[in-house]
Amino acid sequence: MTTLIRTLAATLAVVIAPLHVGLAQAQAGAPGHSALTGAWDRYGTVKLDPRVTSAPPVSAPPLKPTYKAEWEAQQKAAKEADARGQPLYGGYAQCLPDGMPAMMMAMFPMEVLQTPGQITIIQEAYNQVRRIYLNQKQLPIDDAEPGFWGHSVGRWEGDTLVVNTVGIKEEVRFRGVPHSANMQIDERMRMLSKNIFEDQVTVTDPEYLTEPWKFTWKYVRKPGYKILEYVCEANREYQDPQTGGIRMRIGTPGAASPTPPPPVTAPKP
Amino acid sequence: MAAALLVSAGARAHHSFAMFDHDHQVKISGTVTHFQWTNPHVYIDLDSTNGQGELRHYTIECANPGILDRVGWKFNMIKVGDKITTIIAPLRTGEAGGLLKQVTLADGRKFDNGGPAGKANIQ
Repeated sequence: MTTLIRTLAATLAVVIAPLHVGLAQAQAGAPGHSALTGAWDRYGTVKLDPRVTSAPPVSAPPLKPTYKAEWEAQQKAAKEADARGQPLYGGYAQCLPDGMPAMMMAMFPMEVLQTPGQITIIQEAYNQVRRIYLNQKQLPIDDAEPGFWGHSVGRWEGDTLVVNTVGIKEEVRFRGVPHSANMQIDERMRMLSKNIFEDQVTVTDPEYLTEPWKFTWKYVRKPGYKILEYVCEANREYQDPQTGGIRMRIGTPGAASPTPPPPVTAPKP
Repeated sequence: MAAALLVSAGARAHHSFAMFDHDHQVKISGTVTHFQWTNPHVYIDLDSTNGQGELRHYTIECANPGILDRVGWKFNMIKVGDKITTIIAPLRTGEAGGLLKQVTLADGRKFDNGGPAGKANIQ
């Protein structure tokens, strides 16, 4: 706890002290670029700077009616599974990373590195890395091999880093929202003060969405933080073949199991 | 302020904790048989003897190394053979396992399980 308080005090000192010069410096430096380098934490769950509002919650996706009904049914099923005490088995329990755009919500701390021609963003959770290539042409969709983080190109427009991403696997779904192979993710990143930056995200996918889906994330500098490694290994959570829900393996690894896990018949409410 | 930050971390839950019964927490004391410091979860295995003298083996899920580091844990602070006391939200299935809420080490130091797991509601 003492360590936490010290860390907090250091964070507050760094965040609040230079505010009077923050925005001016960020703008004066434009396209100063180097301001993004460093470790960041999601901003807004705790408001540290009275002059910078928290990012509003991500809005519901503007899905076309057919897809919206399916998505709402999935959300309902997940809630009901939770209520039964049998949460649905999914990506994280399978050791799968978020991919884009979800990794930018910064579940855990994140690091931005700026090198000539490239900006690299590392998310501690699941060792996620995305590379944004500067001043290059985006690939045609047909040439963009689908992946978790896709293919990102960016350019500076004044003090704003403008990024376009294509080539996200259809199975990689932020908040369970379906999308086509043609989905485009556009981002506008800029400093709001010396130690806070925002990422305005626009997801465009006319096959699935009635209009672009827009939301914003904000980040606060995490001075001196060193990103930890994250290898998803030896998870003891598994999918119950009967219910499809998450179960947890009991027992010291390698030791003979005293009793086989019982089937789930009537979980306690 | 520290408390506010910890609570805020609740928004970052790794996944649903619905398989655990957070309303009926229990205290389990015993001897550590295994301590697994890994992602996506840290695990403590514990042999515990109940009031009737029966030995039961518990598996206790904790947050991940990053979250635990940030609330003061250290990768080697629990060792096989240590006598510890835990407060857990037990598995709803009735199996001998649960989600850690608080651990008290042999030397008396207490640690919680980070924001997403929530606090102990018993002592």
